[in-house]
Amino acid sequence: MSTAVQTNRRSAVPQERLAGPNFLRVLNSERIKLLSLLSTRILLLCGVVLLVGFAALQAWGIGQVTTNVQNGGATGPRAEALDTTSAVLHLPAGGVSFAQLIVGALAVLMISSEFTTGMSRATFAAVPTRWPVLAAKGVYAAVVGFVLTYVGAYIGGLVAQPILANYNLHLDMASGEVQRFMLLNAAYVAAVALMGLALGALLRNSAGAIVTLVALLFVLPIIFQLIPGDFFTEARKYLPTNAADAMFEAGSSSALNTAYLEPWQGTLVLVAYVVALLGAGFVTLRQRDV
Amino acid sequence: MIQATDLAKVYGAKTAVDGVTFTVQPGRVTGFLGPNGAGKSTTMRMIMGLDAPTRGTVTVNGAPYQKHRAPLREIGALLEARAVHPGRTAYSHLSALAATHGIPSQRVNEVIEMTGLGAVAKKKVKGFSLGMGQRLGIAAALLGDPQVVVLDEPVNGLDPEGVVWVRNLVKYLASEGRTVFLSSHLMSEMAQTADHLIVIGRGRILADAPIDDVISSQGKARTRVRTDHPEEFSRLLARSGVTIQAPEREVLEVGGLDPRTIAQTALDHQILVYELTPLQASLEEAYMQLTKDDVEYRSHDASHYEEPPASSPSGALGTKTPNQAQEATR
Repeated sequence: MSTAVQTNRRSAVPQERLAGPNFLRVLNSERIKLLSLLSTRILLLCGVVLLVGFAALQAWGIGQVTTNVQNGGATGPRAEALDTTSAVLHLPAGGVSFAQLIVGALAVLMISSEFTTGMSRATFAAVPTRWPVLAAKGVYAAVVGFVLTYVGAYIGGLVAQPILANYNLHLDMASGEVQRFMLLNAAYVAAVALMGLALGALLRNSAGAIVTLVALLFVLPIIFQLIPGDFFTEARKYLPTNAADAMFEAGSSSALNTAYLEPWQGTLVLVAYVVALLGAGFVTLRQRDV
Repeated sequence: MIQATDLAKVYGAKTAVDGVTFTVQPGRVTGFLGPNGAGKSTTMRMIMGLDAPTRGTVTVNGAPYQKHRAPLREIGALLEARAVHPGRTAYSHLSALAATHGIPSQRVNEVIEMTGLGAVAKKKVKGFSLGMGQRLGIAAALLGDPQVVVLDEPVNGLDPEGVVWVRNLVKYLASEGRTVFLSSHLMSEMAQTADHLIVIGRGRILADAPIDDVISSQGKARTRVRTDHPEEFSRLLARSGVTIQAPEREVLEVGGLDPRTIAQTALDHQILVYELTPLQASLEEAYMQLTKDDVEYRSHDASHYEEPPASSPSGALGTKTPNQAQEATR
């Protein structure tokens, strides 16, 4: 009897009313979630401000050193070592080592806040297959990481231009080297965002996942550098940040740094980190109770 | 319809749900009643596919939750803890959920109005009272216009007006032919809302029957007698299998005799009786009887409910307990 009621009720409505979750719909849902939080906007703003501020600061610093060298004032090793041309070209993405933390934290929060607030129950009741949720978050984490870095670096370069001009230095934002470095950095931050997202899905704890990400990106390289021995010198090359440094040399016209892996190797190592962590994140999400 | 078969959930050494089998039928409100820690919420999370059962199965409208193409249109749930990010507005929370099923924003506005959240829809959930949070949870449950509605402790934190609203809402949903599954540890709420009861204690089903049957099978029918001579009358009524209590002066509560026998006794002995009321056992009593061995977190003072007559020392004699006798003669 009740099934008859149900059938009548249903047949009266158009077919699209019976639509269920698919990847595009989940993507749309995740967009609403991401943009409806104030914390997202604050973190994005912080990231851009950091990139722009660092570019401006570096422009001023490079200018100061150049002036000193030209005046014959400073002839110390620091001034000698400074490759002004390269420094100016890489200046727009100078703040990336800090901006990556902001983007990484944002990516962690995208998934960990689901679990800490209990939102995950509503989310995964709506999408019981679960994986599209993490995949959609991954899309946004990567896009946000890439776009924020590129846009922030670009604005940073534009802000740096007049400062550099004071010291008769020139930065051409359209030059191949500037674009190459900015794009590679943007790709790196996108990778960091994916690692953060995966850690958030694995640990389901905001603080824990952010601390783990910081340890991976900042603490481990320092520890590996401090411990003597060939093993750690070699192993250090395979840490995400050092692999990224190798990747940044891809397509570079200058000589490769022998302290790093080959650019393609570095890229592969970085991709391997992302794939391994995300893979573990997907498996955990499917198997663990929400 | 919800069907659970030998459904069990074990967390390490603790068995939360211990092989329960039950069916929740459409067209009526089914109450899910049990003490805290009895396994109500765990069962509901398994229905919603959030927790994987250790053993057994549970299906909604014939299929496991994960197999449904459009789950929110099959079953909507309000689960115990708030399932909302506090930094989001009620409107964006519901919009995000609606987006997963392509539910139009018109329906989002509809459930917001239906649950009385219109005034606060654009405010952050952070500032919501417990009651408004519950209303938002119910709004989310109704978003997909589902055939099955599962509500875990829906009246928790609601003001009296909200309680009445939930009561009417679930009855209305059931009257439309939907399956309504409602958990609570408040027996009085169940008595007024549910048509059918599933009682759970320590992970096991203790009763699964229409609410009236649960009451009558557990509580003992009694008769309240008001007379000017309670002592004399109770002496006359006393016999094997009869319990007599004196809750207040001039009042006797007689168990084990029907009102007609009591009236006949009074007539035979020329004792004036001016009240003779059959007493229905309350759901509270029935529930306490059912769950008294199955309360996970029992308070030390368990004397607020009546011991079964058979186990009380005075019960066998069919007379009043000393305390009550004293009270009656005062």
